[in-house]
Amino acid sequence: MHPLYGTTAVAGVGLRQYRRGASPLPEQGVLAEAILAACADAGFDPAEVDGFVSYGDDKNEPVRLMPALGTRELKWSSVVWGGGGGGIAGAFGLAAAAILSGQASAVIVFRALVEGSSGRLSAAVMAHHLNDHMLAAGIVAPAQVCAIRANRMYEHHGVPRAVAEELVRASYYHGARNPEAIAHDTELDLDAMRGSRWIAEPFRLFDCSRENDGAAAFLMVSADRARDLAKPPVYLLGCANGAEKGWGDLLENDDAALYPTAGFRPIARRLYADTGLSPADIDVVQLYENFSAQGVASLIDHGFCTYDNVAEVVRFDNLIAPTGKLPVNTGGGNFAQGFIHGIGTAYEAVKQLRGESANPVPGARTCLLAGGPGAPTVSSAIFANAF
Amino acid sequence: MHMNDGADAPYWNGLAEGRLLLPRCGGCETWLWPAISRCGACGCEDIAWIERAMAATVFSWTRTWHRFGFTESLDLPFVSIVATIDDCGIRLLGRLDDPDRIDPVIGEAIAGRIGATRVGDRDIPTIIWSRG
Repeated sequence: MHPLYGTTAVAGVGLRQYRRGASPLPEQGVLAEAILAACADAGFDPAEVDGFVSYGDDKNEPVRLMPALGTRELKWSSVVWGGGGGGIAGAFGLAAAAILSGQASAVIVFRALVEGSSGRLSAAVMAHHLNDHMLAAGIVAPAQVCAIRANRMYEHHGVPRAVAEELVRASYYHGARNPEAIAHDTELDLDAMRGSRWIAEPFRLFDCSRENDGAAAFLMVSADRARDLAKPPVYLLGCANGAEKGWGDLLENDDAALYPTAGFRPIARRLYADTGLSPADIDVVQLYENFSAQGVASLIDHGFCTYDNVAEVVRFDNLIAPTGKLPVNTGGGNFAQGFIHGIGTAYEAVKQLRGESANPVPGARTCLLAGGPGAPTVSSAIFANAF
Repeated sequence: MHMNDGADAPYWNGLAEGRLLLPRCGGCETWLWPAISRCGACGCEDIAWIERAMAATVFSWTRTWHRFGFTESLDLPFVSIVATIDDCGIRLLGRLDDPDRIDPVIGEAIAGRIGATRVGDRDIPTIIWSRG
């Protein structure tokens, strides 16, 4: 059995989320509250936390959090390389690596984003990718890079554009029913969606995730320790991150077959091999969808459908809880739950497996968490409440 | 991020001289892009810069309508393009003349000329593509 399989667990979660520009505290203060909430959730003394992991250009260096949290000793401080949300799931793998190797025992995985403190996300995540080739072509934002790939997926690989709308609709359906979602009580107006302004073709406004202020934190400990804490453990069964040859920051020279993907094919292969699970074993999916087409590509990469049958699988009725066979983004996802650089998808993974989701999936035991589609490195993880 | 101090410096210098120069491994003749200092296929560090015609086909594209920072010099909407250069397979980022807002078609032939994009206080050379 792979050493990651069921040996660590999320023991506590904390979320603080506000509309953009509405945070009552600066970013570090909001993050401290989320971490304290995660510890309180688990019934765990925050001073005992000895490790921190983040991803995607988070500005909150762990050592600076110590005074506010009462941290006694910092033993693990790391971040997943790469911009975008590609590191979300990988961050849990890093935390598990620290715990299983004995380098730390209680690790907080976090992401915080308060625009007034650290600036616009798109500029931050693009900062270390931008170069003169891109600038000269007018390519400066993730939306544009993903739009170019989406056009290729639609036109050359025959994915029907309508599936993107199905995914967005499902997110808003769940978000409208989730009291913690930014879009709570807001039904998606389809006409408004279809008539919304272009951002970068084929993306209109509603195809794009939009930022929120806030932070989320997850307390990870060994599985044995988690069983003694206040909440039921949500076990990590497997995690993979990285990129294969022919993918990643290649000035659009990725292998032609990989070009319209979300980069997950090697990640999914490894994740399923390490866990002994297959797409059929996944009860619910929390999908980072920075843009609608990349969410669809991520589902294809993870083996839930193919270019040929994507329209049969990525259907609104099939994607929603409790009745769909492939419930996706049951908290509302990046479109409707909120977008603190995607950390809300991990939050919903834990809530769903604890039976605390606003849109429960009956009998759900496994949840796939997929990191940033289209990022130079991406990551996925499988969590479970029993194994 | 200065254009003339990386592995792709000959590319930029070529554009400044009105020529499209692209890198090919001197050992195994693999075309290399992005430009690198060592061929990952054969290990050769002898990189040759070969002139190619500005002839290509459309690999993919987007038409941008939103005013993103650093695009202030470009009239909205504008089309960015990924072009597959003939006779080498390297894909280059560039822009497409789009006066009539006709959607590009993947695989269609395009021809380029050297232009520039103003970003901040710099003019960055680039290839402006047109149909035919």
